[in-house]
Amino acid sequence: MRTVSEPQSGGPISQVKRGLALSRAYLPLTFNFAQRELKVQHKRSALGWAWSLLNPLSRVFVYSLVFGVIFRFQPPEGGSGQLNFAMYLFSGLIVWLLFESMIRGAMQWLISVGDLRRKVYFPLETVAFGGAAAVGFQAFIEALVLLAFMTAYGNVGWTLVLLPVVLLFAAMFGLGIGMVMAVFNTRYRDVENLVVILLSTTFFLVPIVYTEEIIPDEAYGLPAADLIGANPISQFVGTARDVVYFLEWPSVARLALLASYAFGSLGFGWWFLNRRSMALSEEM
Amino acid sequence: MSGAADPAIRMQGVSKSYRLVRDRPMSVKEAVVRRSQRRLVEEFWALQDIDLEVPRGSFVGLIGHNGSGKSTLLKLLSGIHRQTTGTITVDGRLSALLELGAGFHPELTGRENIYLNGAILGMSRRQMTGAVSEIVEFSGIGDFVDAPVRVYSSGMYVRLGFAIAVHVNPEILLVDEVIAVGDEDFQRKCLDHMAELRRQGVTIVLVSHDLDQVRDLCDRVAWIDRSLLVEVGDPDLVCDRYLASIHGEG
Repeated sequence: MRTVSEPQSGGPISQVKRGLALSRAYLPLTFNFAQRELKVQHKRSALGWAWSLLNPLSRVFVYSLVFGVIFRFQPPEGGSGQLNFAMYLFSGLIVWLLFESMIRGAMQWLISVGDLRRKVYFPLETVAFGGAAAVGFQAFIEALVLLAFMTAYGNVGWTLVLLPVVLLFAAMFGLGIGMVMAVFNTRYRDVENLVVILLSTTFFLVPIVYTEEIIPDEAYGLPAADLIGANPISQFVGTARDVVYFLEWPSVARLALLASYAFGSLGFGWWFLNRRSMALSEEM
Repeated sequence: MSGAADPAIRMQGVSKSYRLVRDRPMSVKEAVVRRSQRRLVEEFWALQDIDLEVPRGSFVGLIGHNGSGKSTLLKLLSGIHRQTTGTITVDGRLSALLELGAGFHPELTGRENIYLNGAILGMSRRQMTGAVSEIVEFSGIGDFVDAPVRVYSSGMYVRLGFAIAVHVNPEILLVDEVIAVGDEDFQRKCLDHMAELRRQGVTIVLVSHDLDQVRDLCDRVAWIDRSLLVEVGDPDLVCDRYLASIHGEG
């Protein structure tokens, strides 16, 4: 193993090549970070793993109660003719939870590893990808619960095979944003607080707890429905709902758009983290 | 592939500057409020124009005053920090024990940290499982291996850190002056083990303030003073000049 280090990290192509070579060499470390994340998450808790399910389920329950029962939102008819607000909600919420965990996680992973990085060299991406794998595992379990619900209600179809793809794209999109935020957060801890506020605001600007149909076309002189519809997260949520709830195939153009969001965001985030990585280790 | 004649480490024209920012803003608000005010940024050159070759299989000692740049040099070699100018070529699997505690995560147990460090150095879980008992044995931390590292004494930290660093089959080993934290017995054990590794062909770079130790162990000594490499050569010769300079100044 021969490593030559230069002050600058070279052009984009050599960076990508080096990045890929490194990610293979550091696969065991990435795996170790993933394991650690899963292990530390539920240390010293009596219910342990049950918490990973109680959290999303309680949100489904509360939102269904408030918006479905109290506000009486009528969900559109599902693919098999069902009308169920909880299922309508869950099929969109699963994407949101994944997106949110990626962004908030990325900031925490980078902070938690700062002490280590000051004493020994490893690429910072490893902790991001390791943490992402742990979050992905969590999403996998949630997806199983969602599928169990859908099966119980008889709302199943072949379109469900696209759910993993939509979730993967949403995860990549969230991770890329998370990487950028995490870099800023190592410098200014305010970023985390700011992001939490932005996330809780964005949550209500995406049709998750309500249906797209009730958004007014225009509000305060702004094209509200178009704005909300153009939001990438709305599109991820909408596509997940298409394949899980409506059991409809999304258009190829829609999938291509989601893929470009996913690769664009992750590509930029990875590049940015990599570029700032050396400076971070001196600052952290 | 590299021939045996190639040095294990080659530094060419390597310099490192740190930017010391006085009163760096710690929050967005401060950053915005301070925008108008001038920030004081000082450049501090920790190392300047270092050319150094470490032959494969050699034991090199680094000496010099505190703050002369020895630790910075090890940080550059291990890749923790990146040089400002120059090229560094490291040929071989490198393991480093730099600051107190090596790369430990305080909340994880000693055992989990052993695996974490192994993974950082690119070793698989299976390879590490074989090394764990040796590491525990060498460090002498006993049952503490299953306790979180945050409850360890500083001696235990260093003992475990050293044990891991030498048991991951390094081809190049960098050791900062940390082993001085351990007790006499452990220091002896570390030095003996490094001598043994050296017999096996491992290249070692050791930072030390103990000149007797350096004369005893090393076959080359590099003397760094105020960010500059003053001299590299025979241990006795360089150590004598170093001592003479100290007495000359005093």
